[in-house]
Amino acid sequence: MNLLASKDDLIRWLDSLLQERIVIAPVRVQEQTMFQPISKVEEIAFDFDNTTLSPKGWFLPPTEALFTVQRDDGQVNLVPALVERDAVVFGLHPCDARGIALMDSSFLQEPSDALYRERRSRTALIGLACRQALPECFCTSMGSAPDDPSHMDILLTEVKDGYIVQVVTEKGKALVPKGLAKYKGKVPTPPKLQAIPTMEVTSAMRGLFNDPYWERLADRCLHCNVCAYVCPTCYCFDVRDYSDKGKVERVRSWESCQSPGFSLTAGGYAPRTTKGERLRQRFSHKFLYFPERFRDVACVGCGRCVKACPVNIDIREVISDLQQLTEVKSGS
Amino acid sequence: MAPESPFIPCLATLKMAIQLTPDIKLLSVELEDPDIRASFDYKPGQFALLSAFGEGEAPFGIVSLPQQRDGLEFAVRRIGTVTRALQELEPGDTLGVRGPFGNWFPLEDYEGKNIIIIGGGIGMAPLRPVINRILERRDNYQELLIINGARTPQDLVFQSEFPTWTKAPRTRLELTVDRGDEQWKGRVALVPDVVKELAPSPDNAIAIICGPPIMIRFTLAKLRNLGFKDNQIVTTLEAKMKCGLGKCARCNIGEKYVCQDGPVFTLEQISQFLEQP
Amino acid sequence: MDMELIQQIRDKARNLLEEGTVEGVIGYERASDGLTARPFFAYEPAAAERLIFDETCIHDLVKYLLDKKGKKMAIVVKPCDSRAINLLLNEEQIKRDKVFIIGVSCPGVVETSWNRRSETLQARCRTCQLSKPLVYDFLVGREVARQAEEETYSDITEAKAIANKEEFWLEQFGRCIRCYACRQVCPGCYCPVCFAERLEPLWVGIRIAPEENRVWQTMRTFHLAGRCIGCNECERVCPVDIPLSLLNRKLEKDVKELFAFQAGLDPEESPPFATFKKDEKLEFGA
Repeated sequence: MNLLASKDDLIRWLDSLLQERIVIAPVRVQEQTMFQPISKVEEIAFDFDNTTLSPKGWFLPPTEALFTVQRDDGQVNLVPALVERDAVVFGLHPCDARGIALMDSSFLQEPSDALYRERRSRTALIGLACRQALPECFCTSMGSAPDDPSHMDILLTEVKDGYIVQVVTEKGKALVPKGLAKYKGKVPTPPKLQAIPTMEVTSAMRGLFNDPYWERLADRCLHCNVCAYVCPTCYCFDVRDYSDKGKVERVRSWESCQSPGFSLTAGGYAPRTTKGERLRQRFSHKFLYFPERFRDVACVGCGRCVKACPVNIDIREVISDLQQLTEVKSGS
Repeated sequence: MAPESPFIPCLATLKMAIQLTPDIKLLSVELEDPDIRASFDYKPGQFALLSAFGEGEAPFGIVSLPQQRDGLEFAVRRIGTVTRALQELEPGDTLGVRGPFGNWFPLEDYEGKNIIIIGGGIGMAPLRPVINRILERRDNYQELLIINGARTPQDLVFQSEFPTWTKAPRTRLELTVDRGDEQWKGRVALVPDVVKELAPSPDNAIAIICGPPIMIRFTLAKLRNLGFKDNQIVTTLEAKMKCGLGKCARCNIGEKYVCQDGPVFTLEQISQFLEQP
Repeated sequence: MDMELIQQIRDKARNLLEEGTVEGVIGYERASDGLTARPFFAYEPAAAERLIFDETCIHDLVKYLLDKKGKKMAIVVKPCDSRAINLLLNEEQIKRDKVFIIGVSCPGVVETSWNRRSETLQARCRTCQLSKPLVYDFLVGREVARQAEEETYSDITEAKAIANKEEFWLEQFGRCIRCYACRQVCPGCYCPVCFAERLEPLWVGIRIAPEENRVWQTMRTFHLAGRCIGCNECERVCPVDIPLSLLNRKLEKDVKELFAFQAGLDPEESPPFATFKKDEKLEFGA
């Protein structure tokens, strides 16, 4: 059953959530929209296309301490990092909720990642259905949709009089304010997206593993980490110790398979040394290794990498190239 | 609330550090918690992540055997910041241990076979528990040939154990160095050439090999020439690791996560996923 | 689009590939948005037909020459990009006889991002004094006398007037996600191991946080003092819009004033911080 929240209802609702929880919401920062913890509801940008970074950073922050090392009289004590408060991620689109669900596959698999698990269980997702599809969007080809409520706790859809409130989970139900009217109107038709063919991308990836395609594609790749860092499903990380003025922490930070040192051992061995091998790793992980482990391909079609890549390595084009090359190879 | 984090190491005390070679130390480590100590079971080939707090964590093969109740042993070669910090620890200092991780050498499956162990430099470290396990159950195996190579005589690890190894029945230890010195009366040859020279038979045999990539590459070629099939050659891979939990993806090579699917693989498995032929 | 110019590039590229003069041609092709340009590597003569040139060809392609060391490559070079060629020649990172330069007389490029192109020239183009590349083997396009605006560094003057600069920059660096796109795209950033990745000694901590990011960005900028050729690629590729040009241009201005030097104008002249003159007297030091 759908409810209706007027714009004022929503503001009041968010305000009350903010009293008891951390609220992470889209905020305008210069020309961009970023998910950030807010201190006032007025900071929220309700009117945005897409955020520069996905909300994954709330669950896997760019940097976080895993534990602190304390020393008293030579006695070492490891103090685990805490997740202190409940939270709400507000305003995420369906593709991003799917991204979080895909991250769950790895981080919640035993032995599960404690901090991630704790944040995940203490955070509710109140999403916003997309009003429009951007030219770089292809979520419907990747198992999501502009109005997909899956993986959300609550999905809001903007209508003339406010927002349709679709309660998806028990966790969401507990957050809905009392007294919202039932919504009896029509649910708006979601925007149409151009579908890209994604059939058999995993087997195409496997079949073209040693194809010269990758070195050619990587010619223009800069091997920066932009694609990985804007991606809602890229989750590789680095762990190192950080010491500052006697304080010692074990810190985890984002890292990407595109950087040359990613898999370089202290002894000097690297499994991937060429540009093509490194770029292939990104697509192999998304289309081959991840689905082999967790069934789904690790892409949600949010289009962020398409938009952010400084040299236009367009993941949709890569998928279509793989399919064409596979057809050529099989002689059909 | 503090979640039970798999990233938090068990605290341990350095009991003893023995300089094995100019850059390799054998660290003997005792877990502080007696319950964890009692339940910490592992098999030859498994590894653990050692923490030098303030510097970081790195993976090391466990080179002792589980019944050695006096502690876990690790051979640490000084090569980066973490290994240097581990080497600088004094007996009594605290370090962290996470593990055991990974798979192991399926030594039970190799019973009744001739075993050829080929190690180069620090690559001998993960092979030491294999040798000692085989010697412990010597009757279960046929001939044991150990080829241990290093750059110089000083760089040969586990020299104090050589007499035990040589005295064991049906066991042959062949040492070789790339560069000899005045005292060295032994062989001066590269490991792959020693393999060629000794020409172990592939019949009913398993070759277990670990060493620097270049040694492995050339040794594999020699073994194949001798008629070894890829499923008769077993190795343990070194990979960058940060979590040991199959999450950080640093050790991802091909479809495998070395920390979980490995580090022990047959050449047959590796040739299917190694990204560079 | 100047089809005549594009045809000149294509013809030259095809010839070079057909004759085997070069192994590949680095130029531009249309991007997947159908609107802007992206780098393109042509290896077969037929691929030359994909080459384009227009005001969306903003990328400085010279960096790619570092990936192709030892191979003879042709490269499409705008006047501004030719300064990167000179920089790398001076620093002995590329060999002149390994590069065939297809120079383009460029009327300036516009700001673009994926699926978006503006109509106004980039700021750096408005003050660009170069009507043709400083170095080339083959020149395409009509050389037009440029009516460049005077370089006044008004942006630097404005940035200097920011009330709380510390706060301003920490806020900017706070957004940095250390993707290193700025470094990866920079023709002057080519250290085999960047200080940011060195553990011994450790220059920058692992944390992606304002303080560490500031160390990263400050050192990055200073490594380019007197070496930055002003292509502004770093600012273009930054996914979080950090105004890196303010940092680079501040140093460019200082180096110009102190040493009367601008990077990449002459392959024979080394950057001030790569040279030592015994009789050099600045306003500081002994």
